[in-house]
Amino acid sequence: MTDMPGFPPPRQRLLFRFGVFGLCLVLVLGVLTTRLFTLQIAGGGPSGGRASEARLTLQPIRSPRGLIYDRAGRLLAFNVPSYVVRVRPADLPLPQRPEVVGRLSALLDMPQQQIIEALDRNAGLLYDPVRIASDIPIEVASILEEEARFLPGVEVVVEDRRQYDYGPLVSQVLGYTGSVTPSDLNRLAGMGYLNNDVLGKAGVEATFEERLRGSYGVEQVERDGSGRVIRTVSVVQPPEAGSSIELTIDVEMQQQAEQALGWAMELIGLERGVVIVMNPQTGEILAMVSLPTYDNNTFARGISQDDYQALLNDPRKPLVNHAISEQYPPGSTYKMVTGAGALQDGIVTARQKLETAPYLEINGYKFWEWNRKGFGPMDLYDAFGRSAGTYFFQLAGRMGIDRLAHWAHQFGFGHRTGIDLPGEARGIIPTDKWKREVFNQPIYPGEVYQAGIGQGYNTSTVLQVLNAYCALANGGSLLKPQIVRRVLDNSGEVVRDFQPELIHELELDDQVLLELRRAARRTVTIGHTGNLVDMPIVVSGKTGTAEFGVRDSEGRLPIHYWFTGYVSKPAADGQADPEAATSELAIVAFAYNAKTRGNAATEIVKYFLQLHYGLEEDYRRVDLLTEYGGT
Amino acid sequence: MGAMRVERGMSDTFTARAPAASWRSFDVQLAFYALALAVLGLMMAYTNSVGAPLAAGSVFTRGLMWFAIALVVYVVAAAFDYRWLRTLAWLVYLVNIVLLIVTLAVGSGVGGVSRWVSIFGLQFQFSEVAKILMIGVLAAYVAARRDSMNRLSTLIGAGILMGPPFVLVMIQPDLGTSLVFVAVFFGILFMSGMRLRWLLLPVAAALAAFPILWTILQDYQKRRLLSFLDPSADPLGAGFQVIQSQLAVSAGGMFGRGLSGGGTGTELLPVQSTDFAAAVLFQELGFVGGVVTFALFGLLIWRILVVGWRSDDLFGLAFAAGVASMLLFQLIVNVGMVLGIMPVTGIPLPFVTHGGASLISIALGLGLLQAVAMRRTIPDWQD
Repeated sequence: MTDMPGFPPPRQRLLFRFGVFGLCLVLVLGVLTTRLFTLQIAGGGPSGGRASEARLTLQPIRSPRGLIYDRAGRLLAFNVPSYVVRVRPADLPLPQRPEVVGRLSALLDMPQQQIIEALDRNAGLLYDPVRIASDIPIEVASILEEEARFLPGVEVVVEDRRQYDYGPLVSQVLGYTGSVTPSDLNRLAGMGYLNNDVLGKAGVEATFEERLRGSYGVEQVERDGSGRVIRTVSVVQPPEAGSSIELTIDVEMQQQAEQALGWAMELIGLERGVVIVMNPQTGEILAMVSLPTYDNNTFARGISQDDYQALLNDPRKPLVNHAISEQYPPGSTYKMVTGAGALQDGIVTARQKLETAPYLEINGYKFWEWNRKGFGPMDLYDAFGRSAGTYFFQLAGRMGIDRLAHWAHQFGFGHRTGIDLPGEARGIIPTDKWKREVFNQPIYPGEVYQAGIGQGYNTSTVLQVLNAYCALANGGSLLKPQIVRRVLDNSGEVVRDFQPELIHELELDDQVLLELRRAARRTVTIGHTGNLVDMPIVVSGKTGTAEFGVRDSEGRLPIHYWFTGYVSKPAADGQADPEAATSELAIVAFAYNAKTRGNAATEIVKYFLQLHYGLEEDYRRVDLLTEYGGT
Repeated sequence: MGAMRVERGMSDTFTARAPAASWRSFDVQLAFYALALAVLGLMMAYTNSVGAPLAAGSVFTRGLMWFAIALVVYVVAAAFDYRWLRTLAWLVYLVNIVLLIVTLAVGSGVGGVSRWVSIFGLQFQFSEVAKILMIGVLAAYVAARRDSMNRLSTLIGAGILMGPPFVLVMIQPDLGTSLVFVAVFFGILFMSGMRLRWLLLPVAAALAAFPILWTILQDYQKRRLLSFLDPSADPLGAGFQVIQSQLAVSAGGMFGRGLSGGGTGTELLPVQSTDFAAAVLFQELGFVGGVVTFALFGLLIWRILVVGWRSDDLFGLAFAAGVASMLLFQLIVNVGMVLGIMPVTGIPLPFVTHGGASLISIALGLGLLQAVAMRRTIPDWQD
């Protein structure tokens, strides 16, 4: 063998290296063939090497979600086993996906698109199961089990789901649970949520999610070759059940409130309405009804996209808790703020009489008394009782907008109450600064008048109005409204006992509050609330007629009706003193866009009270609930 | 010694004995083994197109299309006078670098990875072609330095040439392809007669650099690399494919389940048309099919070496060495991964993994080798 021309590396060396390369080639092929033999013929490899053989894996154990009770121990939310269909994307080969999705779609009666979207939206690993359908009938579950061989990656598991026995009655307070979304997972990163997990989405279920959930455990399971769990081998870490929660709500009162509100709404065709009942001494909410509402069981069962869209698009907003999440003009109920502030600031005394003219004129605009005639000279009690607008225009005008706002904030307006429910609104209390910031204009004198009677820019939540009157009823303590009474661990031990929580004491003399309680009682005794005075219980309060929106063809604005007040507690002698700050029941009713001659809210409150106190006589005045346009 | 002399020598070659391509010298063995492997790849594409393999856009029809393109590339490359590649080497090198930069800039991929570039709606992985182009560039370099194969400077020069494309592919990040570059680098220099003592230097350097390299790797790359050592440590995570792949292979047995036989699915991998395609091959064609596949690869690689040996210049030899090293390395890493004896890296198995760019680049490499075979002027050394 001779060197080739121009080949400085010796030919010998090159030949040797070719030999080395060839040897490597043979070696590599030998090793690969041996390994292939081991796997395919000799039966080596992982888990004995056969696809049909089992393997051990870890998986989470869900903790049972905490229960929810009412204050009397009635079970409101608990867990029931249900069949859930999941797909483990890692076990579903792409080419077979259309076939499997098609079969699932037919069995589950779901559009194929929805299944594909659920798979594609999956935020977790390929190996994490994706929830496709919840709460499927047992017949479908058994068909799926039988066809398991033709449905790779599909598994049917038993999972707890929420059951709400009282459904729509308490749904606004309880809320509901639902599947986590990718954005939930981002928000909750590091808190141990699984990509097919369930969490509280609204109401107490959402605010107390952390306590209700407990903590998940870990178990070791044996799976067969196709990934199905055969048995549990050991529990690595046991799950810890979630805490249970006892609400301040009394389901019986909740039912009475719903019955009263529902009756009026059906009678007049109201779009929305709210009733809240509270204990003014503790801030505990005894009933909170917002209608229309929804059945939270449909969410817990896995609501369909269509049903959810229908709820979202409903103009009456059934998913919104109108007691706390919407803000409305408080109207004349707000006159308590104006009156209390004026007394404290020495602008007027309770017995001092002011002229109430048919209207007050300012810069060419007329601000009318509601009866368009005026009431003549009036003291605070009568002006409050008759709800004389021109009286409070004068007080507001003398106080000025910023002082008025100060007293509004004192009563909790313009601030969230801090109730343990999601989505609370703040309301608007206008000031000169606020007006300049929002409208780039100063506040005008006429707007100060309007603010004095809770109109114009003023808005508040229904709960804020009630909470302000609770402060009046309990002698000047603004309390945080509470919805949860106790948290219990899974052995029934009280983990947390909620005590009344003071926001602040009102900067008002006891005498001022006493005068206002007298005025609130005058509303009833003067006959402004019709036959409410005839009921065998002592009620004080304030009506409200709040204008909103745009005028109709006859120049009238649509109105909301309010009534808020409290029932005086009978003393040892059986006599209830309306001037004492001992009331244990305060109530607000709100009727949205009510087209009735009389105050619908007052009728709702009357009905509630006669249901609650078991009065035999019916004080309801159906004649007042006819449409004002019709008579 | 100087560059001028090399240039003159080259032009001498062209004027004195530029041979015409002779289709009579067409190396039938070289073409046959490759064709057989390509057909095997098409069978895998067919079996993975469950449903309608003949429908437009299925894995199989796309495979057929790429196969047709690859045939054209092969024939054109074979007809091409490969010696021009030496003259154009610098241009090829520059184009190569530009393409890799373009891939980084506009490429798309899964999870922040930019490997794919879409051309006319087809996804194309340039780094696959870059491998063949770099083999050509390195071979041209080695051929130009044929008198200096004992010098360290030749090794350093080759390292400088290989550096930029290696880094560009590495930061895509495509760890697998960048490792192929390393294998090709050593394969060419070793087979071209580079002194062993110099060759051991970069090996030592690589070992020393390993800890640094490890810190550059993405977390998912590290997990994948390590998972083969103990797949059961994270059986639902990184170890999943390792276990799943071996289970699929072991289900094949002696004769396999037949094409599409694995279609019941659960034992298969979630995405078969990937680097784990060999698992499907072993499952459906069994041990026998696997051995046939290995044999075809062995024969092909050996034939490539023979063509290189018989070529009349160092370019042909080095080019053959590069292609052979590439094929052997990818075979080891890919099949080793599928069989659970190598870490998980994204290296395709030539012919079997359905990727257009992979097949085209192999066709280009083998076509150029065919050109080498058809243009040799000296008699076969064994003749």
